[in-house]
Amino acid sequence: MIRLSLSLGLAVLATVTSAQAAELPAEIKQAGALKLTVNSTYAPMEYRDPATNELVGLDVDLANELAKRLGVKIVWSETPFAELIPSLQTRRADFIISGISDRASRRETADFVDYLATGPQFFVMADNAAKDATDLCGKKVGTTRSTSFPVEIEKWSKQNCEPAGKPAIQYVPGENSIDVRNQLKQGRIDAAVQGSETLPYAQTQEPGKYRVVGEPFAKGYQGIMFRKDDAALREVVTEKLTAMIADGAYKAVLDKWGLGANAVAQPMLNAAPQ
Amino acid sequence: MKPVPALAEGFPDLSGMRIAREPHWFRWLSAALIVLVLAAIVRAFAGGQIEWSYVSRFLTAKVILEGIVNTMVMAVLAMALGIVLGVVVAVMRLSPNPVLKTVAAGYTWLFRGTPLILQLLLWFNLALVFPTIGIPGLWSARAVDVMTPFLAALLGLGINQGAYTSEVMRAGMLSVDIGQYEAAQAIGMGRLRALRRIILPQAMRVVIPPLGNEFIGMVKATSLASVIQYPELLHNAENIYYANSRVIELLIVAGLWYLLVVSILTPLQMLLERRFARGTLRLAR
Repeated sequence: MIRLSLSLGLAVLATVTSAQAAELPAEIKQAGALKLTVNSTYAPMEYRDPATNELVGLDVDLANELAKRLGVKIVWSETPFAELIPSLQTRRADFIISGISDRASRRETADFVDYLATGPQFFVMADNAAKDATDLCGKKVGTTRSTSFPVEIEKWSKQNCEPAGKPAIQYVPGENSIDVRNQLKQGRIDAAVQGSETLPYAQTQEPGKYRVVGEPFAKGYQGIMFRKDDAALREVVTEKLTAMIADGAYKAVLDKWGLGANAVAQPMLNAAPQ
Repeated sequence: MKPVPALAEGFPDLSGMRIAREPHWFRWLSAALIVLVLAAIVRAFAGGQIEWSYVSRFLTAKVILEGIVNTMVMAVLAMALGIVLGVVVAVMRLSPNPVLKTVAAGYTWLFRGTPLILQLLLWFNLALVFPTIGIPGLWSARAVDVMTPFLAALLGLGINQGAYTSEVMRAGMLSVDIGQYEAAQAIGMGRLRALRRIILPQAMRVVIPPLGNEFIGMVKATSLASVIQYPELLHNAENIYYANSRVIELLIVAGLWYLLVVSILTPLQMLLERRFARGTLRLAR
């Protein structure tokens, strides 16, 4: 309760400060650069271009546009997915924009400014017989173990397989989305789960190999993650993001990566339903 | 003051004087500094962003205990495989047969020449190359059913270890005096028999310390199998912090267990060393 009222208080404080034009924290302004950390294994959100080894992706483009509008440079660094939150806590990163889902469990340590609609999505090899998601009940389904997807799969299985009298989905852990797709190709698993925003890209890399089963099975958002005590930075970024959505720069980036359908109407603070 | 009695001219008797103790200022100073630094580190850990209640809560959690059991099972089996391979390859390496020699050298070259994590990933993804494996006409199975995370980890760790152990074994065998080979030959022993009865028992004394070293390395190398989903200690600790975001707390839990295991292994190695050094205990001191 104390935490709730505290974050409400922070939110009120944030809106008050945003009434006057928000400003970058002095430390960042002085350095002239944002420190951003990504986990670059999640194409097309952020990955190393195989041809140039450049860090590219939707998040990278959005961050570059934000930085341009803030008048600062970006110093990029990389880390495993599970180290993103510690990187934020230890101030290695000023904020995190790295394909990370806004989850209630993560809001204990951070605030999320939601900027992209997403949801976990089942997919199979193109020649698999499964038509509906419920055909996957009792099957082996793999996903990246460091994400929120294992919990989502279990929840979905409880809500959809058990009432239909079917056996539960057997979850199989994988190390990252590439490893999971490799397990799928070898038949180690029958189906896999990835964020819906990453599948169009995977399908362009290996055309005709995979088939999506059903719709994304939980509604959620990717969020830019801020330290709880960093409301000033959060506000200034939210402001710039709002402007980017208004003038079409945001839409242009999403369209470039084929994810126009995942756009949000405005940035939202800690808005994902779970 | 009593006059000092002269022994001879120019030689005063010093026997009655107290010997002053050297003050060892630097020892005191350096010890104090070290204690200070350690205290500062402990203080930093105590006051850092660490929720110690999570450390104590998860130290004996079921998944962590299962993890340490899996770690030890894998370390022992992979090391056993490594020693068997190591002995065979070392014997091949020292054999006069050029085919055996070349095969042995090639094996060491290949498995010592590539990173362990790469080998683990190759074993785990073997089904991309061999979708089914088996003996033609007798038995076959899908590679993914055979190459479970357990088997992939065992083969990856064990075969890699074999390449290193073969060099340790070879060193041990070379350390046995050439006269021992000659004496065995002189009384009519064949090569393999001489190896088994004369050379290897003596080589054991030399190879135990480096093998103990390698085994301790193996206990920690099993953590690499986390990337192929073998549920060892680090893998299970990671799974917990993937869910609750208490990264450093769970890493401390895993670290404490690794330290405990290695602390138990060190005296065991000493016992083993003493056992194999029975014939030469004088030298071992």
